[in-house]
Amino acid sequence: MAILVLDMLTTSLILFVVAAGLMIILGVMKLINFAHGAFLTVGGYTAMLTTDAGVSPWLSGPLALIFGFFGGLLIERFIVRPLYDRPLDAILATWGLGIVIGQLITLGFGREVQFAASPLEGTLTLGAIDYSAYRLAVSGIALAIGAGLTALLYLTRFGLNARAVIMNETLARGLGIDSARVRAFTFGLGAGLACAAGALITPLLSVDPNMGLPWLVNSFMLVLVSGVSIPSLLLASLLLGSAQVLVSTFVSPILGGMTIVVLAAAILRINPRGLSFG
Amino acid sequence: MSRRRPLRTALIGAFVALAVIAAGPFVLDTYTTNILIRAFFLAALAMTVDVLWGYTGILTFGQSAFFGIGAYACALTFTHYGFGPGWAIGALLAGMGTAMVVAALIGWLAFYHGASPLYASIITLALPIVFVQLIFAGGRFTGSSSGLSAFPTYYWAFETWFWIAGTYLVLVATVAWIFVKSDFGRLLVAIRENEDRCAYLGIPVSGVKITLMVAAGAIGAGAGFGYSAFTNVVAPELGGFLLGTELLIWTALGGRGTLLGPIFGAIGIDVTASYLTGALPFLWTLLVGIAFIVVIVFLPEGLAPIIGRRLRAAGQALNLVGAPHVSSYSVKAINPGSHASEDVEVPLRTEGLQRHYGSLKVLDGISLEARKAEILSIVGPNGAGKTTFMRCVSDGGERSGGKVFINGAEIGRFAPHRVAKLGVGRSFQNTNLFDTLTVGECLMLARFKTDGAQKFSRRESLDLPEPALAILRATELADAMTLETRNLSHGMKRGLELAMVLATEPSVLLLDEPTAGLTKAERTAIGDVLVKLANDHRLCIVLIEHDLDFVRDISSRIVVLHQGALLMQGTVEEVINSDLVKAVYAGEDAESVK
Amino acid sequence: MTRVPLLSAEGLVSGYGGAMVLHGVSFSLAEGEILAILGKNGMGKSTLLKTIMGFVAAREGAISFAGQDSTGRSPHLMARDGIAYAPQEFTIFQDLTVEENLRLGAPSDTVFNARVDRLENVFPRMLERLKQRAGTLSGGEQKMLLMSRALLAEPKVMLIDEISEGLQPTMIARMAEALSTARETFGCAILIVEQHLAFALKVADRYAVLKLGEIVEEGAAGDPSAASALAEHLKV
Repeated sequence: MAILVLDMLTTSLILFVVAAGLMIILGVMKLINFAHGAFLTVGGYTAMLTTDAGVSPWLSGPLALIFGFFGGLLIERFIVRPLYDRPLDAILATWGLGIVIGQLITLGFGREVQFAASPLEGTLTLGAIDYSAYRLAVSGIALAIGAGLTALLYLTRFGLNARAVIMNETLARGLGIDSARVRAFTFGLGAGLACAAGALITPLLSVDPNMGLPWLVNSFMLVLVSGVSIPSLLLASLLLGSAQVLVSTFVSPILGGMTIVVLAAAILRINPRGLSFG
Repeated sequence: MSRRRPLRTALIGAFVALAVIAAGPFVLDTYTTNILIRAFFLAALAMTVDVLWGYTGILTFGQSAFFGIGAYACALTFTHYGFGPGWAIGALLAGMGTAMVVAALIGWLAFYHGASPLYASIITLALPIVFVQLIFAGGRFTGSSSGLSAFPTYYWAFETWFWIAGTYLVLVATVAWIFVKSDFGRLLVAIRENEDRCAYLGIPVSGVKITLMVAAGAIGAGAGFGYSAFTNVVAPELGGFLLGTELLIWTALGGRGTLLGPIFGAIGIDVTASYLTGALPFLWTLLVGIAFIVVIVFLPEGLAPIIGRRLRAAGQALNLVGAPHVSSYSVKAINPGSHASEDVEVPLRTEGLQRHYGSLKVLDGISLEARKAEILSIVGPNGAGKTTFMRCVSDGGERSGGKVFINGAEIGRFAPHRVAKLGVGRSFQNTNLFDTLTVGECLMLARFKTDGAQKFSRRESLDLPEPALAILRATELADAMTLETRNLSHGMKRGLELAMVLATEPSVLLLDEPTAGLTKAERTAIGDVLVKLANDHRLCIVLIEHDLDFVRDISSRIVVLHQGALLMQGTVEEVINSDLVKAVYAGEDAESVK
Repeated sequence: MTRVPLLSAEGLVSGYGGAMVLHGVSFSLAEGEILAILGKNGMGKSTLLKTIMGFVAAREGAISFAGQDSTGRSPHLMARDGIAYAPQEFTIFQDLTVEENLRLGAPSDTVFNARVDRLENVFPRMLERLKQRAGTLSGGEQKMLLMSRALLAEPKVMLIDEISEGLQPTMIARMAEALSTARETFGCAILIVEQHLAFALKVADRYAVLKLGEIVEEGAAGDPSAASALAEHLKV
């Protein structure tokens, strides 16, 4: 029972950290980044390369973040910026980008499944049960990233500018905010977060050129249900992530795989605003 | 002759295509024939994506699921139940039937009035994921992740399969071609360009989309069935999300909204891929990915229009083809329909109409009546709630409280197209019409409510009520029937807007700033027509206007809204001379002057 | 006027899609001057301000500000050059706090901290409500916030779109006062577009009437005959 609760919590927090980058980009840029899955994959391979090079696996997350950020800036400039007026086309172009990234990875590293070392092996004893130490660590990091993002958005000038652009871009520009720069930085941040999340989850799974795809679909659904706010993304992750664990445990792991998608579609049909509040 | 041309072109094209397909196996090697058979089935599927996305604007990720349903209907029947002509036809029908039911369900979920286009995409994205998980869950019955293979099927020669696949493709493509070139095809484009406007013209947009989804599902399932029976292998990927996105790539590269582009895109990419995967396993996918990004960013129309223009130019140089076909409608006047003759003295009545956004009250208990044969003007400063009032009257889902009666009938929670059927015609403040449609096509759409739209041909003439014709004449639109609306002047756009609303034969006409941005002469012309409509045709006209000179000249009565409440109503003289109204317009608070 | 124009426009033509709203508008605004552009709804007043800011592209004509050609410059650069723009609708961020709204007006947080005290004399109520969500302010308070934000930006020019609309007479008087304070404290020039005749003539030095996208009349606000001449253009 305690293990079930821990599974629900850790799964939800992992979903949360994986979806965060997608949400930041959707929030500020009103754009759905279908290359999100590929960014996660890039993060996974960054983690693999980091550990292969003998660098501490704890550094793979930060390195992925930096790599993703600068990659994101470039992508924003050349692919995303021309499509601000065509949001549905932006979904397609970023999907094409995902294909390109996936194929480049395949060309570079092959199709086979590979593994990255975990910074934290073994289990942690919590009272009467043993639980994967790294899962707990990732959950903690997810919460820290959530807190960090909240701080960035609510305590810094960049966050204030970004929120102003989200709420009313015209007015924000009229006040001297360079919304193009805010968007570019946001895309970099979202891409960086996605890569970091990919690096974080890699030790729990394995790396292959398509590892990001299932996460893309679930993140997409979570973000649409939650709307643009960190607390509501956390709530959506907790609700749908827990539902996924419950269905997987008590009904069938296969149906568990579509729980989030089906629940999200149903929630949005009943209330188009999803679970968003605030 | 002009009406017959699309049909004739389609039939000639189909005949040529069939001849090519008949000859194909004799010139192609076995490998190519084999690949093309599969490509034909996939091309038929890509074509349905083009009808949904390219023409109608529904970005669907899930068309692959219908292909999968057809494929599994074949595989499951032949593996578990039996094999033979009866079983085959039964399985085909079962597959198509299931696909149609699923499509209807998806359509019902995704297309409701006010749904965002993104929501439809979400639902179509969920569909293939659910499909694949269900196949996984099917265990030994569905073969789970490895699929089913080596089930009994017709081991005909490749030529036979080539002819079957080719004929299926040509058949569905020809029907689809005639369909998209028909009046109804223009309706699809109108939905893509301005769904909302269609709804207010009384077109049941959701119903059209659902029907289209069902038909596309059936065609996709048929293709999947053929694919499965030919290859003798099915796997969950046939109904998966990745194939769904590949279909989009083929469609985009080929050219969305061109029908033939996606067909050739699908065939071209699939065949090249089969040849190259041996030599350059991943490079090809990489190149397709890059091409896809480039096309989306720089050539959103895809390759077909470019090639098409080249071909047409070459054809014209050789005198093989004429100028592109533009349908011109001749118009004739008809007597006003039933609405105007209905004997309701108060066609529009509201009782305590309210609209809140959270705690903000935009409309607060508006009760008013608009009578037959009068022009009722609604005036008030910005933010008084005038446009919101129009919205609440023409869309049952808008108001927060109160009642609206149109010709005595309560509108309840009716979507705009049903309110339009009760007799409401609404024009909008902005003049975004349907950019790529011609004036004649716009008017044809406006007649959809009364005359429907031809599904496999073009109408030659339009029956328009006299008031609509009067507007066409006054704004010189009568001579511009073949002009695309984006090329019209602002005044003509306003005129067309009004003519379209009048063509729906409304009994209550709601006009939101019909003269905004017009010249003095144009204002006068429109004003004259409105007065005539009220006097001669006994229409009930409700008008929002900023130009108080215009209001004074034509109104029978004036209603003043201020901060969401009805400040006063009365005759033109009463209102214009009221100190209260002057004060409100000068920006003073109503409370302080009362 | 002998003063050097700070902001000027020459033959501005602009509009939306195919419909032009301005048909060749020219004006000039000197340093520290207040110019009122008067006109009824739909005459192109808001479009004029949007065109100056660069939100709506000028199809023809030129805009110059502080001695340099600003035609086609993007809005955020115009703002950084020193033009504060107060649109007619959605003027403040409803979901941000009063303080956040004010911070956005200042070029940086340091500047904000240095200048925020100056509100004490003009709009003390804003300082009391720094942590309140701006959307919960009353209509009049929201206008105060708007003006306060402009004061913190210390712009060279303010463009203000119908600040008087929907305000009670006492509030209108406060606004007039605030505009004068802005001019006195840091010599800011102001371009207001208005329907409210009395308010406009009270605060402005000069007026111009915009009718169907053209300036049809100009004059000095102090001129005793101005009010009656203008009433003809603006009457209901």
